[in-house]
Amino acid sequence: MWGFIYAGAFLAAFAASALFKMTYDPTGGKYTVQWDGTVGTIHTDLPYGEGEANRFDLYLPADAGRESYGLVVYLHPGGFTGGDKSGDGEMLKWLCSKGYVAAGINYTLFGEAHPDANVYTQSAEIRDSIPFVLAEAERLGYPIDRMAAAGGSAGHTLAMLYAYRDAGTSPVPVKLVFGAVGPSCFYLEDWINMGADPHHPKAVDPSGDYSGMAGLFYAMSGKEITADMLADGSYLDAVKDISAAMWVDENSPPSVHAYGAWDRVQAFAASRRLDAALTGHGVPHEYLVFEHSGHGLQNDNAMYALYMEKVEEYLARYLG
Amino acid sequence: MTLTRKRLVILAAVILAGAALGRLAMRAALNLLLGGTLFGGNFL
Repeated sequence: MWGFIYAGAFLAAFAASALFKMTYDPTGGKYTVQWDGTVGTIHTDLPYGEGEANRFDLYLPADAGRESYGLVVYLHPGGFTGGDKSGDGEMLKWLCSKGYVAAGINYTLFGEAHPDANVYTQSAEIRDSIPFVLAEAERLGYPIDRMAAAGGSAGHTLAMLYAYRDAGTSPVPVKLVFGAVGPSCFYLEDWINMGADPHHPKAVDPSGDYSGMAGLFYAMSGKEITADMLADGSYLDAVKDISAAMWVDENSPPSVHAYGAWDRVQAFAASRRLDAALTGHGVPHEYLVFEHSGHGLQNDNAMYALYMEKVEEYLARYLG
Repeated sequence: MTLTRKRLVILAAVILAGAALGRLAMRAALNLLLGGTLFGGNFL
């Protein structure tokens, strides 16, 4: 009988521990909101274009009637091929609870149904959606006079492209950008080291076959990129439109970015270029490296708590 | 030490081992999918 008790206890402890590791919140629920009418209201699936995915959700704070509001757009992750704005409900509710108008915006995902979608077309959809978001917020009694762009992973990339590349077209000033683990640029020497030891990167082999990487960059940018272009460096012109770090200048908004050093899903080394660009142009920013984590930022709880503290601090300082 | 006490000590050790291995297994699985180091970082 004791043998069964030992086996049962082992399995229960094993499963409970694994589940705990999966669900543990290092912030202790600080950024989780008990949502009801005293916090705000949610308007879902508002249109901003003709596409099936051209929909956004608005989270409006309960304290209506202020002269103006700050908008925070939070864009969902999913590798540019999946995900939905509803997946960021917790973050959007928290932002709304801080008094901001929060918006989750869907964009057309790359896949069988939309083989022509790519990072550039998605970023263009986000750019084109903002006037609709502002107009709808104003119609509902929430005039916007400033905004922040944010997101996770793919959404982080799109947020950075809006903040660094497209902010000049924005109807209201972009005061801040924040997010985690989004690809910020597409240099071959960074991407061949994706998932590798970040402390011992390998160099590009002049005789190596990088046609797979050319295909990846092609799919991401929507522009033809050949192995020859990788070899002579001309591919960088083709990927510039989807490389947020290449658009950073002295007018770029303050930024908070988090990255995992062992990321297997996107190139961590690209984030170092982003940090260098922000530093080089004197842009106030936080570049937080999770030294033991990958794309999920899953192994550095204290850093995750710090990231959220910095987001909160920058929101208060730059978005008001 | 009585037999019952020995069994309870073994049970506690088994639970601790299960908890440690469960966490490590989940961490290893996540690292495999997303990247990450196995023993660095936070304990939880």
